Amino acid sequence: MSDHEQTSVLDARDVWRTYRRGSEEIHALAGMDLTVRAGEMVGIVGRSGSGKTTFLNQVGCLDRPTRGSLKVLGTEVTSLEERALVAFRRDRIGFIFQLFYLIPTLTVRENIELPLIFARRKDRERVAELIAKVGLDENGDALPRQLNGGDMQRVAIARALVNQPKLLLADEPTGRLEHRSRDAIMEILRGLQREGLAIVIATHDLSLARQTDRVIELKDGRIVQNERESVVFRAA
Amino acid sequence: MVWFRLGLKNLLRRPVRTTLTVAGVAVAIAVLYSLLEFQKGYEKGLREDLNALGAHIMVVPKGCPYEASTIVLHGGKWPRYLKADYMEKVRAVPGIDESAGILMDAIIAKNAREKNQIFLGVDEHFRRLRQNWRFREGGWFPDADSLIIGANVAKELGLKVGDRYHIQEPRGNFNVDATFTVAGILEPTATQDDGFYFLPLATVQKAFNLKDRIVVILVKVKDVANVTPVVEALKKSEANMNVFPLTELLDTMGQLVKNTKVFVLAIVLVAVAIGTVGVLNTILMAVFERTREIGMMKAFGAAAGDVFKLIWAETILMCTAGGVAGVGLALVASRGTEAFIKGVLAKTALISVPKGTLIGFSWPVFGTAMVLALFLGLVAGAYPAWRASTVSPIEAIRAE
Repeated sequence: MSDHEQTSVLDARDVWRTYRRGSEEIHALAGMDLTVRAGEMVGIVGRSGSGKTTFLNQVGCLDRPTRGSLKVLGTEVTSLEERALVAFRRDRIGFIFQLFYLIPTLTVRENIELPLIFARRKDRERVAELIAKVGLDENGDALPRQLNGGDMQRVAIARALVNQPKLLLADEPTGRLEHRSRDAIMEILRGLQREGLAIVIATHDLSLARQTDRVIELKDGRIVQNERESVVFRAA
Repeated sequence: MVWFRLGLKNLLRRPVRTTLTVAGVAVAIAVLYSLLEFQKGYEKGLREDLNALGAHIMVVPKGCPYEASTIVLHGGKWPRYLKADYMEKVRAVPGIDESAGILMDAIIAKNAREKNQIFLGVDEHFRRLRQNWRFREGGWFPDADSLIIGANVAKELGLKVGDRYHIQEPRGNFNVDATFTVAGILEPTATQDDGFYFLPLATVQKAFNLKDRIVVILVKVKDVANVTPVVEALKKSEANMNVFPLTELLDTMGQLVKNTKVFVLAIVLVAVAIGTVGVLNTILMAVFERTREIGMMKAFGAAAGDVFKLIWAETILMCTAGGVAGVGLALVASRGTEAFIKGVLAKTALISVPKGTLIGFSWPVFGTAMVLALFLGLVAGAYPAWRASTVSPIEAIRAE
């Protein structure tokens, strides 16, 4: 294994995702190349339909590329069997979404525990530690409807981290939050980054993307900018 | 257990819908439980009634033997008689331990406030057959005008030993008009005897103008293994007698009830089918509503099998709750159900209706009802669980 592969959490090479609509072929991803290293926070920006979410789905093992190579934590995930893929996704990758997707009937603690249940593990200490880490010590037994949006996203972050992933994928993580909550969530994400977690954030929010280490701009499934200070910011 | 805990929380999300679905299952299970319990109680009650007769063979006049036996078991008027001297022919048959001729007549109630008065003319032979008899007060007939009454009769009429009891009923040219003295009051027997009036055989023959007549001869054999040859010998001894063993009666009456059970079971099956569709519909609706949530659970690491188990657990919980509620409903409604079925059966003279409680709680019937409820859950939940397990996380994300 090369040095490059050892340090990279994500290594995408010529990744394509093609859909068919009748006789027409639509390339949601058209030859994506991207490497993300441990402890790096990468922002992916682009207009709706540019391929941001599709790329996160491939990286998160929710979907399979039509072609190309996708190594996550050194494992070529494109060749994994379905069962192995589920386990890989569960144990190595964390997700957070714009709409949080908390189970409304479960308490904060139970929502965070959910991925552990799927992994047939019990780790109450880990759950308690995460509740404290995201600043919800007082709300462990609260139901999601008793929380504001920012707190719900904190729960979603804790849930994403409960199986101790090395890669966190965030799709518009602050899209539904007001400024103060957005800043608080970004502060939590930066803290996780400092602990060595690689984070990939797909967002429309340029001010949010500006807070990442590196910004990738997508257009028509291709990277049009891959630099520390993207042209999109200059344009903005 | 964790799937059931999660499933319960999901069911409580829509309490009204869940309650209505559980109620649908409960009704189906209540019908099934009542039917099975009634069947069991009926057979047990009939067996006890027949055992209380203290005999193995019943001899009645020619005609429908089941109608006759129902009259014998529960009392009444039956205008068919055996000649009293048939008793001699019966007693001449070898292998008989004891035999008793009984004459039965009744004064039928004229309005709802009154009760039928059923009189049995009996003798010492009958007393030897009724091993279960105990006197609470008084004893056997000291003279021809003596009366022995069952525990319920004594309670309802407030009669004591020594009280006088008068009967009167015009019957065409003859007028039933006699007065008796209460000589004995029986302890409760939990049989029809509790509601009967017992008189010396000759007294009933005289009071009801039925000289030398009897309605039934009860026969106890020396060896129960020899019931069949004794029955054959009795048949040969007198052509005008209808002879049959009580086990045959039990089987036949049981079979009659079983036959009706087939039709009732068909109704139960329809109820169960409706319950199953109700559960399937509810769970399927819940799966559709939660498509995104289920997709996200898969994104967080739930395998298809996990989702299947979760949805199946919800269905099983709902059906188990329906099963328990159904049995509870059957028990709460048991008096009404019992009265209704007994009322229907009583309208047919062919089927004897045992006394006492027929629908109660029993673990085997409860187990059967719960197994069916569980089976219903497994069947109804399979398709929605499969649908849920195939939800793609990608679809859920696209829906966002």
